[in-house]
Amino acid sequence: MARSMLIISRQAPWSGPAAREALDIALAGGAFELPLGLLFLDDGVFQLAGAQVPAAIEQKDVTANLQALPMFGVEALYACARSLAERGLDPTALSLPVELLGDDELRALINRYDQVITI
Amino acid sequence: MATLHVLSHSPFGDGRFASCLRLLGEGDALLLCGDAVYALQPASTPYASLERLGASTPVYALAEDHAARGGGAPGAGVTLVDYAAFVELCCRYERVNSWL
Amino acid sequence: MKFAIALFAPPHSPAARRALRFAEASLQAGHQIVRLFFYQDGVHSASANVVCPQDELDVAAAWTRFIQEKQLDGVVCIAAGLRRGVLDAAEASRYGRPAANLAAGWELSGLGQLHEAAQQADRLVCFGGN
Repeated sequence: MARSMLIISRQAPWSGPAAREALDIALAGGAFELPLGLLFLDDGVFQLAGAQVPAAIEQKDVTANLQALPMFGVEALYACARSLAERGLDPTALSLPVELLGDDELRALINRYDQVITI
Repeated sequence: MATLHVLSHSPFGDGRFASCLRLLGEGDALLLCGDAVYALQPASTPYASLERLGASTPVYALAEDHAARGGGAPGAGVTLVDYAAFVELCCRYERVNSWL
Repeated sequence: MKFAIALFAPPHSPAARRALRFAEASLQAGHQIVRLFFYQDGVHSASANVVCPQDELDVAAAWTRFIQEKQLDGVVCIAAGLRRGVLDAAEASRYGRPAANLAAGWELSGLGQLHEAAQQADRLVCFGGN
């Protein structure tokens, strides 16, 4: 049976290539039909904010890549409820349908996967 | 189903340390290396957080990083490890979560 | 035990040396390294153009020596490498760049190699940070 991987993305979208490169790991694994999960934690939840205009700083729209996740078979998408609340982000206005998890659920989530990469 | 969490950033610089501590589950362990060993500084805020973890969460620190930063005898409950023990810890726990 | 080791930090970061010492220790303990995968700024360790001051540890050169001596599979993410100017001869030619700088013994390939290594390994151990 294929080994599962949880990717924890905790970088803001426009702080450099880290957010995109975390996403690329997920998309690459999805292309191989591997059991993957993607968790947005800490500043990573800013990737999910609506109304971003990356063109204003001459950046590509990472939101488009996020939308591609389900098409690549990456459907286990999670966000840390505490990270959203701390940053004043409205969980009902995110650009991607994610399951919100509390701290206890996050602990259980990590232990469900064989491997974890936290970027 | 326990996880070895590895921290290598200073606990004073960003949110990794606090987030990692919140996500430590039953049976998990913490390995401090690089600037994360500054969390062992006595009387510091991060050290107080480590003490609150209690005996059920083992705390390890890479001995060379601790020595390089002038750390003395580590506090109670903290085990200094070399690379051979680091490797062994990675085998003992089911997964390794490095907070990059 | 089979390890996949991934490095995300540049050769001048303490994490690059730590990953190297960990890799050495894992072989000394009788474990196997199925692949070393270099991603994000980690790709710079595969550059033959890193020039380290003579009185400092040259971690990039030490990595290259290590993978050659132990005949390990050292893979650099091609997309991350291109973005940061780590090119082999084929990529330098493809993009019309004046030189290739991927050190001998390394291979540029895709992120699928990270997943393949993670599938083959008992443990994936990632290094980055300070």
